[in-house]
Amino acid sequence: MSKQVPETIKKQVKRSFNSKEVKKEKNEKRMKLLKEIQTKAFKRAEKYEKEYLEQEQKLVELKQKALKEGSFYREPEPKLAFIIRIRGIVGVPPKPRKILQLLRLRRIYSGVFIRLNKSSLRMLHFIDPYVTWGYPDVETVRALIYKRGHARVNHQRKIIDSNEMIYDKLQKYDIVCMEDLVHEIFTVGKNFKHANSFLWAFKLKPPVGGFSTVKKSFVNKGEHGNREQYINTLVKKMI
Amino acid sequence: MTTQQLRPIVSVFPIKGKVKTIKQVPLPSVFSAPIRPDVVRFVHTNMAKNNRQAHAVSTTAGEQTSATSWGTGRAVARIPRVKGSGTGRSGQAAFGNMCRGGRMYAPKKVWRKWHRKINTNQKRYAVCSAIAATAVTPLVMSRGHRVNKLPELPLVVSDQLQSLTKTRQAVKFLKFIGAYRDVEKVIRTKKTRVGQGKYRNRRHVLRKGPMVVYARNLGIKKAFRNIPGVETASVYTLNLLKLAPGSQMGRFIIWTESAFKLLEDIYGSWEKPSKFKSGFYLPRPVMVNTDVERIIKSDQVQTVLRNRRPRSRKYGKKIQRADPYEDMSVMVKLNPYYKTKLQKQKELEEKNKKERKEIVDKSRKEYEDWLYFSEEEEEEEEEEEEEGSDEDREIEVLSDEN
Repeated sequence: MSKQVPETIKKQVKRSFNSKEVKKEKNEKRMKLLKEIQTKAFKRAEKYEKEYLEQEQKLVELKQKALKEGSFYREPEPKLAFIIRIRGIVGVPPKPRKILQLLRLRRIYSGVFIRLNKSSLRMLHFIDPYVTWGYPDVETVRALIYKRGHARVNHQRKIIDSNEMIYDKLQKYDIVCMEDLVHEIFTVGKNFKHANSFLWAFKLKPPVGGFSTVKKSFVNKGEHGNREQYINTLVKKMI
Repeated sequence: MTTQQLRPIVSVFPIKGKVKTIKQVPLPSVFSAPIRPDVVRFVHTNMAKNNRQAHAVSTTAGEQTSATSWGTGRAVARIPRVKGSGTGRSGQAAFGNMCRGGRMYAPKKVWRKWHRKINTNQKRYAVCSAIAATAVTPLVMSRGHRVNKLPELPLVVSDQLQSLTKTRQAVKFLKFIGAYRDVEKVIRTKKTRVGQGKYRNRRHVLRKGPMVVYARNLGIKKAFRNIPGVETASVYTLNLLKLAPGSQMGRFIIWTESAFKLLEDIYGSWEKPSKFKSGFYLPRPVMVNTDVERIIKSDQVQTVLRNRRPRSRKYGKKIQRADPYEDMSVMVKLNPYYKTKLQKQKELEEKNKKERKEIVDKSRKEYEDWLYFSEEEEEEEEEEEEEGSDEDREIEVLSDEN
């Protein structure tokens, strides 16, 4: 007995954008794209490694040169900071509360990257007692983004599990892979804003070994405020 | 509807002999009226109130005492109490709805509104719906009628049925046409009424059987009168309470041929008004084609739709992922250069190690050489020293120190 398929179903299958042929085509396209992304990622990562190395070496060279001449080399002021909120949400006055909100530091041990300029430095001044911040190096930025990097996708917080995710959102800013993202953040490039807002605020763990006292500033043997390069050791304990 | 120019055909059956079509009649337009259970329910619930008889509680019930409250200070509730003494009744509470022997709360009055007015058009709408439902087999079956053995629904029978006079003939006809199963059901399920109606002259409860609708009563009424469950009705006066008993549509109806034909005149159609109900046209359905699925799936609709937005299934579930610093495969997926980087680092380290080793070896060798030569010199000096006098040696020592 021959199976009679109703006309409506036949038409539906034909019309369906989920049909086998369409799916196959889509899949092929996607595979091709993924391959492209990975090759790009490889090349760019290579490029950036060289770049970071050169930067370091350059810095050393300039310092030595200055020493030789008997003058001083003034390093450029840092462009990037990583802020970690180290106080809870109870009893925060309105101004710091608002600033913490603006910086996406809505809970304790959350961290964000921020570009340093006069405006943001003034903001940090207000929230100093509630945060600790400093200048992260490449390895810190990398560790944060690789291990704890979550993307904001469709108003949801999703862990970055492939370069495709980054490509979908940030392709128009020429950021297609993890290393691109790291580079954009670390060097505070043209599209820092978009790279940074792509990232959800980092949720860190309380530090291994604890804090001394959050009530005092870092300068006074406490924990809050600017701790410059020592942020790197702290992040290692909190990541 | 203009689409109803072509109407389906219904067979007319004889009342005895062989069950086969003797004639064919077009289906009256009523049977295509919209079937609206909500309208039928509304009209039925209101219509059913119209045969109620007024009842009430006696106006004096519970009031026939001269009870007065004792007031406060007597350690009793302040309810009015029966005056006097010498009987158990004295001092008992009276008048209140909570009191034993008191009047009820809001005593029922005869002037309660027992009957309901229903708009004529609504009534007619309901009847049209109910008639249409009698032609829909699933509805008739779901109402509980046994209609499996019928030759057709709607069941139309020759006009000879109207001339039957004997109950025996009527029963024979019902058996012939296959409708007796429904009557058997009625007989089988006759029960004593549950509740107090049983001693209020409503002792037995019967199911509803087939309804026979005729155009002219030439004895049919009396013939079918005594058959349990069977009701007769004139086509001119179809009652909703009988067409949809309990506001359940789909009564099993046996039509006589002339009654069936008269339906077209009595209820009219969408083009022609009814001849008997002035200005009445059949109600129009809200949707002409109710097969919504088919409409949606039709070419005309589907070709105009935009493509379905693809659900981003990639991001649908919560993605679990290992720590890239612990799981190499995850790291390589994110950064394909990583392995090469490690390799290069390793190579660099080894290179540096090698260089360092060379330097260290070189310097060690130099030191050992220096040591060796210096030992030789010392030996030579010692030999020289042994040959010379003490004084000379002292001088030499001094000079060495210098």
